[in-house]
Amino acid sequence: MEHNQQKQSPLKKTLDFIFALITNNPIYKSIFRVGYPNTLLKRMAVMRSSFYMHIFPTKVGEHGLKLRYSWCMGGITFFLFLLLTLTGILLMFYYVPEEHRAFQDMKDLRFMVPFGVILRNMHRWAAHGMVLAVMLHMMRVFYTGSYKAPRQMNWVVGVFLLLLTLLLSFTGYLLPWDQLGFWAVTVGTNMASATPLMGYEGPFHELLGVQIDNDIRFAIIGGTRIGANALVRAYVWHCVGLPLIATLLMVLHFWRIRKDGFSGPL
Amino acid sequence: MQEEVRSDKSGYMLMNKPGYPRVSSWPNLVWIILLMMLFLTVLLWGVSFLAYAPLEEMAEWAKTPNPAKAPWYFIGLQELLVYFDPWIAGVMLPQQILIGLMLIPYVDITPTEQGNYDFRRRRFAVAYFTFGILFWFALIVVGQLLRGPSWQVYWPIIDYDLGGNTWTREGVPLKEGGAELKSFPLGVGLALLIGFSTIGMVLPLIVTRMFPKSEKVKELDKYLKELGYIRYFIVQSHVLMMVGTLGKIVLRLGFNVKYIIETPWFKI
Ligand code: HEM
Repeated sequence: MEHNQQKQSPLKKTLDFIFALITNNPIYKSIFRVGYPNTLLKRMAVMRSSFYMHIFPTKVGEHGLKLRYSWCMGGITFFLFLLLTLTGILLMFYYVPEEHRAFQDMKDLRFMVPFGVILRNMHRWAAHGMVLAVMLHMMRVFYTGSYKAPRQMNWVVGVFLLLLTLLLSFTGYLLPWDQLGFWAVTVGTNMASATPLMGYEGPFHELLGVQIDNDIRFAIIGGTRIGANALVRAYVWHCVGLPLIATLLMVLHFWRIRKDGFSGPL
Repeated sequence: MQEEVRSDKSGYMLMNKPGYPRVSSWPNLVWIILLMMLFLTVLLWGVSFLAYAPLEEMAEWAKTPNPAKAPWYFIGLQELLVYFDPWIAGVMLPQQILIGLMLIPYVDITPTEQGNYDFRRRRFAVAYFTFGILFWFALIVVGQLLRGPSWQVYWPIIDYDLGGNTWTREGVPLKEGGAELKSFPLGVGLALLIGFSTIGMVLPLIVTRMFPKSEKVKELDKYLKELGYIRYFIVQSHVLMMVGTLGKIVLRLGFNVKYIIETPWFKI
């Protein structure tokens, strides 16, 4: 590497010594396998031998590194998803999805739980951020033509991820059990009752004998209006079902990016 | 040589160019990711200290707020409820948007170099997508910022007097003038819709027959032949759907048309 040929400053020498001390010992090596990555070979080995790093290729095209190419939006979406998982798990410690308790738990988070406000705020704003980021990510992929062969299927996986992101955000909206979320979700789920054939207000619903208490909206919210059942369903979808599906699809998404190569390329 | 590869393969990529400069991921990529994570975390922390997540009063079935708004990313669909029945605005259109998005890679055959913001060879695709995105966000802006009680237009800065259903102010056109909405007679509506779809579908045919000499049209002709009937039909039906949605908005706002087709079973 080029820096080996440069004249070494005392600071650099000291730093190198410290790094060597940290990295050239049996414990470090048993965990990270490769010592201090100061040569190209070792740098590539670092990426290959680490479970977490091998999601990335060992070498990337310079082009893909430019922020103005990818806007980093896929990565930002994913990182926000991780942050949401972390803050979400912490929120679950303090929240019970029960009609009479949910709202009180929100108040407790605000006034009683240490750092509860920050926790909830972070979860909320990260959620909005993720929706925005995923839309921008889709736009970037479109404008760079990155959905073309061989990435067609990954684009389709992406569209499912977009839908899942929206649904995650939407199911979370109901959980505080305040007027805002309650009515937003009422408005949103009412649309389902207009589904042709399967919604009790949709065209041709009579053909299947569909009524308010057996239509698709009823199946979604577990009642004829948003109530205790809808709250539990929103909670389970929000905290278990949707994140699981989204995680699986993300794994697939990333796997395909690695197999097809990054268009940038990465 | 390069140019040739570039022009006839649809999936040509910068990456495949020989001698494309590459660097090791460690530390070039890894440190960008680290910085981005740190930056985002700090940003989110900062925002969360300054701005509080909204929490209104406890949910109550008996107290319907006016207006009751969907979350912002769905408010575009709610805004469409002004112009369409819910089975179209809330079910058919979103479904078609999702299906259309998924089909993009399978119907787009324009040759381009991937990994580049290069629109020269895909003007139509870029224009259509951009228009759709702008449409989506325009509806969100109107629904989120300009709609007030009873889903009437309220300008954000003006301070309206409160009070029941008479939230109007002199000189400011709030309500749609109370003008009566009319629907087309069934025959006219059907003719309009069928005419629109048919003409829309055969439009390229008309154009290519009308100006067979023009170079541009010859290019279009060649492109359409390559595209084939199925892909053409998929693309054009989605284009027409978007144009039609816009058309219905114009008919409603400009001509007080409530429905184009009104039957006892469904209304469009
Ligand atoms: C939860 C949602 C999503 C996550 C976490 C995610 C994550 C990522 C990441 C990290 C990349 C690597 C490149 C980059 O950062 O731009 C990527 C690439 C890609 N994404 Fe996504 N994505 C999501 C949703 C979507 C959506 C909605 C679409 C399209 C409809 C999409 C289509 C693609 C495609 C085709 C690539 C390959 C791009 C290329 O090679 O240039 N993804 N995604």
